[in-house]
Amino acid sequence: MITNKKQPSTKLRLLAGITLVALLGGCATFSPDGGFNSVESVAKEHLGKEVKWVKTDEDRQKVYAQVTAILAKPLTADDAVQVALLNNAGLQATYSNLGIAEADLVQAGRLHNPGFSFQRLEKANVFEYERKFIFDVFGLLTMPTRTALEQRRFDQTKRRVTGEVMRIAADTRRAYLDAVAAQQTARYMDDVRDAAEASAQLADRMAKVGNWSKLDQARQQVFYVEVMSQVARSHQAARSEREKLTRLMGLWGAGAQFTLSERLPDLPAAPREINNLEQTAMSQRMDVQMAKQEVEGLAKSLGLTKATRFINVLDVSYLNKSTAGEPNQTGYEVELQIPIFDWGDAKVAKAEAMYMQAVNRVAEIAVNARSQTRGAYSAYRTAYDISRHYRDDLVPLRKRISEENLLRYNGMLIGTFELLADAREQVLSVNAYISTLREFWLADTNLKMALLGAGTDSGMSTSGDTAMPGESSGGH
Amino acid sequence: MNSRRNFIRTAGATILGAGIVSKVGAASVPEAPMQTVATTQPPLIPPNGRPYNPVVTLNGWTLPWRMNNGWKEFHLIAEPVVREMAEGMNAHLWGYNGQSPGPTIECVEGDKVRIFVTNKLKEHTTTHWHGIILPAGMDGVGGLSQPQIPPGKTFVYEFEMKKSGTFMYHPHADEMVQMAMGMYGSLVVHPKNPNHHRVDRDFIFIMTAYDIDPGSYTPRINTMTDFNMWTWNSRVFPGIDPFVINQGDRARIRFGNLTMTNHPIHMHGYDFEVTCTDGGWVPKAARWPEVTVDCAVGQMRAFEFDAIYPGDWAIHCHKSHHTMNAMGHSVPTSINVETKDVVEKITKLVPDYMAMGQDGMADMAVMSMPLPDNTLPMMTGQGPFGPVEMGGMFSVVKVHEGIKRGDFKDPGWYKHPKGTVASEWNGPVPDPVKAPKGGKA
Repeated sequence: MITNKKQPSTKLRLLAGITLVALLGGCATFSPDGGFNSVESVAKEHLGKEVKWVKTDEDRQKVYAQVTAILAKPLTADDAVQVALLNNAGLQATYSNLGIAEADLVQAGRLHNPGFSFQRLEKANVFEYERKFIFDVFGLLTMPTRTALEQRRFDQTKRRVTGEVMRIAADTRRAYLDAVAAQQTARYMDDVRDAAEASAQLADRMAKVGNWSKLDQARQQVFYVEVMSQVARSHQAARSEREKLTRLMGLWGAGAQFTLSERLPDLPAAPREINNLEQTAMSQRMDVQMAKQEVEGLAKSLGLTKATRFINVLDVSYLNKSTAGEPNQTGYEVELQIPIFDWGDAKVAKAEAMYMQAVNRVAEIAVNARSQTRGAYSAYRTAYDISRHYRDDLVPLRKRISEENLLRYNGMLIGTFELLADAREQVLSVNAYISTLREFWLADTNLKMALLGAGTDSGMSTSGDTAMPGESSGGH
Repeated sequence: MNSRRNFIRTAGATILGAGIVSKVGAASVPEAPMQTVATTQPPLIPPNGRPYNPVVTLNGWTLPWRMNNGWKEFHLIAEPVVREMAEGMNAHLWGYNGQSPGPTIECVEGDKVRIFVTNKLKEHTTTHWHGIILPAGMDGVGGLSQPQIPPGKTFVYEFEMKKSGTFMYHPHADEMVQMAMGMYGSLVVHPKNPNHHRVDRDFIFIMTAYDIDPGSYTPRINTMTDFNMWTWNSRVFPGIDPFVINQGDRARIRFGNLTMTNHPIHMHGYDFEVTCTDGGWVPKAARWPEVTVDCAVGQMRAFEFDAIYPGDWAIHCHKSHHTMNAMGHSVPTSINVETKDVVEKITKLVPDYMAMGQDGMADMAVMSMPLPDNTLPMMTGQGPFGPVEMGGMFSVVKVHEGIKRGDFKDPGWYKHPKGTVASEWNGPVPDPVKAPKGGKA
């Protein structure tokens, strides 16, 4: 593109070249989906959920209608996740990052506007005119590189947004499980309160007719009062868990009046068996993929740095210098640094170091990802086994104890108070089972997220702003 | 009451020929008969030896013997047994020859007895002949008067019955455990002259107590006072057979006490005299009339009466908890406590809950609610007029007309002559006398 402009025909050729460049630059226009398609497809594939980037009032209406329809019936965990993905404003804010990143990408695909400068100098009545046509040739040369870089950033933003979708989905699922479990627990605590209340009432009457001392009566009362505060706490816990879920689903007003399903989903008949657990994680996890991509990108820029080690800021200028009374001078100017003091090796060394740093970080992320996946699976299996143990052994045993106690009550071997105390124990064991079931579903959610490298403690947080990985990538 | 109380009269109920332990001893040790049922067996008319009037062992039997060169030879086998305490409840006990209690040993004053004791328990044992005058080395106190009988071994006791009377046998080796597990039996020495102290009907039983947690089978051997099975010959009401007596018979009831508390035994309808203790016969001049006789721990008593008043008469320990089966001694009293509305609340949590006890506990004998395995209702039994509401140490003395000699079969319920049963008053009820106003109640 550096042309000697001696003849008008070459000028024309230059213009043609610029036009071509402009056309090339024109390739980096805004995509119709704004990068949202990939987010959508990941949400569809891995979550089975729909996401929506609300940009217009029409979009808003649609989302509102969809959310209202879902909220009309008791919410399942999937419903809650769907509502959050459609309705969480924070998520919508995150989608805007896509727009920003894409704008950067488009920007990278465009050359600086050509410049034209005009100088008029006077020296002892001699006027010198200098006209310069400035065109960012190096920008043109480096445009593919810059575009690739911005493309990477754009891709990363897509992954980051996807990750955020995953995180919100996981958080919502967790909040849902917590809320339903807390609601269920509160309900069972009401049963405990009923038992305690019956005991206290009976105790009152026992004392009133002279069968019991004030001491015995007071003991039952104390117990009842204690149970009452436990019941109040359980209801408060249910409300606060529900509010967490409400926030994640982005609901307020009438929307916040949703109904949760009565109980947690049952324990599956068998735990999930995952073959090639670690390979699955390696191929799916977003943090691993992103780290790999960074390394590839850095490898490219390392090559570029090596190739252009002597070239600094290189503006190629088209010069047109005219001095009054003299013919115009035209030409071009290329500035090259002479590598006397700086042979560029420091720059290359830095790039190499950055590359190696990223390579090691990938290794670290991979090691962590494998470990997290194994850990998540182990936690999942343990939670499953414990919950099943509660369901199949502990709760039935408690039930059997209660049955036997009723038989003993029938035989006048124990009294009503013992029977009621046992009924409370049985209720509490059911509550304990609910808590193990909640832990199982949380572990299940964590495992899913661990396999995707999202929403876990490693998750997406490694990504940061990773265009220059030296500053921020790789773990915490 | 129930048909299981009918006597089993078939000779087949006594199975001869069960285990002899060592082949060396086989030639010289008599066979050990076994018993498989817990119902009262008919008296054993002595087939040989000196004649006597046999006793009837309540829910038990008499051990057959063999005569050998002037010796009366018996064979007891100490072993684990399953004893039916009443229909629906089996206890895992230790006993002798298939049952707890062991068979009654009957002999006659002056008899030379040789009693083989084979130990089929897993721990050593001995047998103490409670109240018998004998050589010290035959007294059966492990370690003191003899080495204990090791598991699998047979020991022999030989002594002469110097006096007649009412006695018992039980272990004196790890005796706390072995008696708590049901090892004991009656021992009766009849007078040389069968006409001395002669009666027409002569019954015997021994009182023992067990703590068998409802739903379990083996007694808790460490319990000292809080027993829940108060038994006569390891049976509880309604599993205790009646004392069947022909009107006009002279009857004797002998009993001993191997529990850890005394039992005032009370019989309705009669006054009686205590005629015998484990010390011997009470001289006529020393007897006094009673309707209740207390039998202290480790004692034996026998009382006699002329069965002239017909009827079905209760006989029982007068400690009212001893006429109950398994019950909760710490269940709070709910008498007078209104529970109706609370019951609704409770049945939400315990759907099959039923309120009991606010008017008393008699409901218990009427309602047949499911109970834990292997236990009996606290109070139970049906009589001709309704629930009997009893358990434990309770039975009925049935003095009926026309019962044949030697017949101990349950004759059914007494048929009261017209106008001799308490009934509802249908005449005018006088106004109640009221306390004067202003006065203190």
